[in-house]
Amino acid sequence: MTAPEREIRIVSVGTELPGEPVDNAALARFLGMDTLWEQWVDAFIGTRSRHMATDLATGELRHSLADLCAAAGRRALAAAGLESGPGPGPGDGSSPADGAAVDLVVLGTATPDQLMPATVNMVAERLGVNDVSTFQLQSGCTGAIQALDVAHQLLLAGRHETALVLGGDVCTRIYDVTTDFAALPPAELVNAALFGDGAGAAVLTARPGQGGIAIRHVLTRLTGLGRPPGQVLEWFTRSDRGSDRPAASEDYKAIEASVPVLAGEIVDELLDTLEWKVDELDYLLPPQLSGRMTARIVEHLGLDGPREISCVERTGNNGNALPFLQLERLLELATTGDRAAVVAVESSKWIKGGLAVERL
Amino acid sequence: MKTIDDFVDLVQDEIGLDVTAQDVGRTFDELPGWDSVHLLALLAALERTTGRRIAMTDVLEAASLESIYRLAVSA
Repeated sequence: MTAPEREIRIVSVGTELPGEPVDNAALARFLGMDTLWEQWVDAFIGTRSRHMATDLATGELRHSLADLCAAAGRRALAAAGLESGPGPGPGDGSSPADGAAVDLVVLGTATPDQLMPATVNMVAERLGVNDVSTFQLQSGCTGAIQALDVAHQLLLAGRHETALVLGGDVCTRIYDVTTDFAALPPAELVNAALFGDGAGAAVLTARPGQGGIAIRHVLTRLTGLGRPPGQVLEWFTRSDRGSDRPAASEDYKAIEASVPVLAGEIVDELLDTLEWKVDELDYLLPPQLSGRMTARIVEHLGLDGPREISCVERTGNNGNALPFLQLERLLELATTGDRAAVVAVESSKWIKGGLAVERL
Repeated sequence: MKTIDDFVDLVQDEIGLDVTAQDVGRTFDELPGWDSVHLLALLAALERTTGRRIAMTDVLEAASLESIYRLAVSA
């Protein structure tokens, strides 16, 4: 007879979005685009605003990924009753680093501040977390689910008790404000309308207790064998920084065609695995590509019952942060016994991500 | 741009879509390779050529390239 599986709970979620929301008119001015482009973004991208770590006046980066993740992490820890420590500096050592209550930190991001040190460890520094295992995943739109999967498995294995799981991206650091955006092909300009910056965090624990949401199943799976990447983000070194290849590009036609189908497969697999009926699903947290694409995905899924929780229309696509923004809202809305499915698809090398949870 | 043939040339040259005069009446759903990014490029090209802008509210009602052409010449 096997021992019953430990129940892993998400006890809190915190998020951070830099600055004030930037609407399409302000973005168009920043990029030097005209009102035609702005109206087209309104109508065909369907994203109304996003938050940007880049200063619109100067083009300088105001917030690093570590800044955003530390702020989100601090909120999640506080909400879980685990105040973060003071970190190094004046006053260090005068009070215990309560962040030490976390014994595992996992971060998913596509846009780390540096290749080394890993941003996860700089976030730990800010939070006064030390002497714990830390992992960073190089990940795109399924990164939050992958980070939750890693933490969930390590907690289930009994190796750790309480994890801080982070996801975030600073997509706008890709912009070079000296670029003549009006001269870019429309397909490259789409990226500027789609993406934003932000971070999210969740505290997961294996400790018995009340409240939060229980993780019932996590699904992460690479499905891109033989398929060209749908999204590419380059990085440049001293030797090739003069290269004219685009820093970011995407095969939006492949994304439009594939993501709704993959999202449907993810929902089906989550429900089948748990033997949940579709009418037992109370909330759907669908992929957040853009306002328009998310609406298309939800329409394709055709689920009448669950209430949709989406944020991309106001936050922009901030990659690894998105599921945390949706989970934060779920924690506010759901009542005991409510079930929810989080669905994410990464179109880079085509990865499925799904998370099934139940409000306790 | 005076005729529908001029318009077809513009579509071919400016957005690289291989359409013929027979295709312009097709709905966008039936037009191979068509997407909203092409629409943006086409509207920008029309504005450069005619010096006039077509209202996005009208564009959203248009079902085919022919409808866009009519909007462009009547704008």
